[in-house]
Amino acid sequence: MKFARHWSTTTTWSLVLTLTASEAHAYIGPGAGFALGGSMLVLLVTFALAFAIILTWPIRAAIRLIKVGNPYKTAMAKKVVILGLDGMDPGMATKLMREGRLPNFQKLAERGVFRPLDTSVPSMSPVAWSTFATGVDASRHCIYDFLTRDPCTYAPILSSTDIGGAKKVINIGRYVVPLGKPKMKLLQKSQHFWKLLGDKNIFSIIQRVPITFPPTPFKNGLLLSGMCVPDLRGSQGTFSFFSTESEGDAAKFIGGEQTVLRRKGNSIRSRIVGPDNSVLKSGGRMTLPFTLTIADDGQSAQLEIDGGESLALKLNEYSDWVELTFKAGLGIKVSGIAKFYLISTDPHVNLYMTPIHIDPENPAMPISHPEVYAIYLAKKQGKYATLGLAEDTWSLNNRVIDEKVFFDQAISICEERERMFLDAVKQTKSGLVTTVFDTTDRVQHMFYRYLDPTHPANAGKDTEQWKDAIPQVYERADALVGKVWDLVDDPNAIFMVISDHGFTNFRRGVNINSWLRDNGYLYLKDENATTSGEWFDGVDWTRTRAFALGLTGIFINRAGREKSGIVSEGAEYRALVKELAAKLEKMIDPADGERCVRKVAMSQQYFDGPYRFDAPDLLVGWEGGYRNSWECAVGQVTEETITDNTRSWSGDHCVDPDIVPGVFFCDRAINTETPRLVDIPATVMKLFGQEIPNYMQGQMILPSDPKEGAAKGMLDPTTLEQSGAAPGALVFAPEERVAGERS
Amino acid sequence: MQTYNNIASAIFDFLFAPFGHEIALFDLIVWPVIIGIGALQVYKYTSNQAAIASVKRQISMHLLEIRLFRDDIAQVLKSTAKIIGKNVIYIAHNLTPMAVMIIPMIALMVQLVAHYAYQPAPPGSVELLHLKLDPDAAVSAQDVSLEVPAGTSLDAPPVRTADGQVFWRVKADQPGDHVFKVRVGDEVYEKGWAVGGEARKVPVKRLRNWEALLYPGEAAIPSDAPVLSLELDMHTRPIDFVWDGELGILMWAMVLSLVAGVALKDFFGVTL
Repeated sequence: MKFARHWSTTTTWSLVLTLTASEAHAYIGPGAGFALGGSMLVLLVTFALAFAIILTWPIRAAIRLIKVGNPYKTAMAKKVVILGLDGMDPGMATKLMREGRLPNFQKLAERGVFRPLDTSVPSMSPVAWSTFATGVDASRHCIYDFLTRDPCTYAPILSSTDIGGAKKVINIGRYVVPLGKPKMKLLQKSQHFWKLLGDKNIFSIIQRVPITFPPTPFKNGLLLSGMCVPDLRGSQGTFSFFSTESEGDAAKFIGGEQTVLRRKGNSIRSRIVGPDNSVLKSGGRMTLPFTLTIADDGQSAQLEIDGGESLALKLNEYSDWVELTFKAGLGIKVSGIAKFYLISTDPHVNLYMTPIHIDPENPAMPISHPEVYAIYLAKKQGKYATLGLAEDTWSLNNRVIDEKVFFDQAISICEERERMFLDAVKQTKSGLVTTVFDTTDRVQHMFYRYLDPTHPANAGKDTEQWKDAIPQVYERADALVGKVWDLVDDPNAIFMVISDHGFTNFRRGVNINSWLRDNGYLYLKDENATTSGEWFDGVDWTRTRAFALGLTGIFINRAGREKSGIVSEGAEYRALVKELAAKLEKMIDPADGERCVRKVAMSQQYFDGPYRFDAPDLLVGWEGGYRNSWECAVGQVTEETITDNTRSWSGDHCVDPDIVPGVFFCDRAINTETPRLVDIPATVMKLFGQEIPNYMQGQMILPSDPKEGAAKGMLDPTTLEQSGAAPGALVFAPEERVAGERS
Repeated sequence: MQTYNNIASAIFDFLFAPFGHEIALFDLIVWPVIIGIGALQVYKYTSNQAAIASVKRQISMHLLEIRLFRDDIAQVLKSTAKIIGKNVIYIAHNLTPMAVMIIPMIALMVQLVAHYAYQPAPPGSVELLHLKLDPDAAVSAQDVSLEVPAGTSLDAPPVRTADGQVFWRVKADQPGDHVFKVRVGDEVYEKGWAVGGEARKVPVKRLRNWEALLYPGEAAIPSDAPVLSLELDMHTRPIDFVWDGELGILMWAMVLSLVAGVALKDFFGVTL
């Protein structure tokens, strides 16, 4: 009877129902009933969580105080913000500041300082940012390149990450069910300085710093992994190109795949190729069939992915991120995201799809610490690029897309990162915030030829339309600096802008493997052959004494280290590296008689860290304009040794580190005219009142009294060697050219 | 009201119990699932799905924010306040589908209760027949008398209270669908009593006001009658897995329909 009275009240007014909790809710209906239930649950969880956190906060604070004291008591700054602009070049920055195009950088330099920043050896992002993260050189963090070789097989392996399957599996019929997570290990040695800060209860937000995948847990901080996060296929970025253009076999690309489309009227049926199916014993790639229907006017198309989204694609426009869910079987799904770009519909249909990024909202593997941080960012700002090398340079290098499509993609990724960076700066009241932006690096790699009218890569390509692309990206960075400065213009906050290296021209590619062959250091199994396949296919290891892999390294085939090593340790080894270094430093480009190599570092002499034995034995410091050829990087021996670089990837920094320093801007003056990348973590430790650990190789570069800084103000570009004035590149006008530059 | 009850009962009496009332679980499983699916469709087309997805995303984002920034008390409080605010918005987004769903859902659940919440009284049992007079009516409890049908008997003299209520202890002597006749002044009001026999839809109570919509097993009392209610204590029907009585049926139907809705939401592409 009592219930009947309740029952009668339920029908009075639905709003009342939503705000009262009684059995009468049964009549609301499942949809709204669930909503109400869900709301109540959310509120319950929220209050429980909030109360638990608020109630335990004094206890946690007291424990922290007892354990580590007040971390900010002796700190010079409560907040440090470091904006990392990968590849920002001091010469180019100087030129654009002179032209008044970088007013915020100009103000920052005038208030504090702008100097070149000594980069790492070798001068490439994985090495340099590892030095930034750990405060030590390559022989201590053990990252010398993107790739190294497996000494047991001579096959290439990623330097930074070891990814394998789950340790235990169960076989069920045609399925293999993994028990536990796949093996993932960061191969970088030493430790990140934000871990040390976290141990002292200093909060950090670290976003997209290279070589932080897989993410290493640390206290009091959040981290989103950067460079070396793979795509869903496990590669460092594999784009897809769907085209009706190719007759017969699909074209083969480096870093991408073409799928030949067959058009039936306005309709095309094809499939997206996804990751390997590790759940099926038979393996194979998972695929997602789709139908593409071209509009009659050819200005758009409808893309319908089976069991997924249906979206309208406009000609010459990127789609938003599209969720791609691959079904492996046994109810296991893997989720990724990609963007589509309809390049043309007539006479041929050409559709480009970016590499499939790990979906940040539903990550197939951890890409952040804690794991939910990536999810949080996705829920806050929408889906975002997660791939380490997010800007798809390979598709432009293969001319699948043009400069506009690449530039739009790079800017879109940059916008995503700007949102997450500004948000992190706002949310962090005290502690460290660091975000690395790759746009500056990628755009300079792909658009450097526009600075050099005689660049070999210009042949047959536009040389005018995107002349301003690099300055535009610098301007974008300048605008970001303005926004950040508005947020951190506080006596208790310190703001730095750094880059890992600068940039120079890449006109000529040198295949060191071919040079080693020509000089009797590398032999092929087939004595009549003059070339090898990729990854040393065809190389005779029983006679080969040296080989090159990656972008600057030469390995000696050392007995006891390499599988078929023949060079003995001691005198033979020392003599060989000296001989090679001397010969390489005399290498002349027959095309113009110029020296190709500036200097060669012998690792065992140059480095003194515990991991120097893992280093390439020689590191080639190229002159500006030269670099390891594309074929050399993948362990191939080619007919010719020095060739023109005709690819869109026309600028580079894998040269002598002295000619590609990075930038260092700070809103305070500093102690030294020659700050180094390795000094940054030591400086941050000290700014937060912490002792610099003994193993760190850097030093504090900010004075305790801001007025005492000896180095302040703008950079004198005559102190730069080549930076911003690479051979052939018209960064500076002839009268502005600086010391050390070659004509 | 009576017309509505007649139509609804005609429809559901036809649809329910295709295999008889003994197999209660058939209707109690099939109909809540149908309710769940129907509700999903209503929800899909009457709610702002994009807005609901957005607000849910924001709620989970703020929940994660509390976890990630747990040492920043100001941030925790801010996030908590935002979650409460977003919840209000979420509930507001649910009002339209709720308003659309509520009438058919009530109709269906009322019928489920009418068919399955109670069972006929066992022969030999004694129950209370209870009449309540309208206090404003011109009759008193002394003007009320009961005519007991064959197969039942009066177990004790009636009890009349000063506030216009009359209680009779009646005994079920024989199985059957018996009808009591209650005379109030010059008017006669009937009240059914299902005794013994197989499970079936049984009359529970007659009411004068709109609440009669919730008890379609018998006709409503006319609105100008001096009687407010006429009801007989009934035995709730025990059904495996389901709580006894009205609440049990309602909770079962709600939970099952919710489970069906949640389980099938992705299949039907609905954001709840």
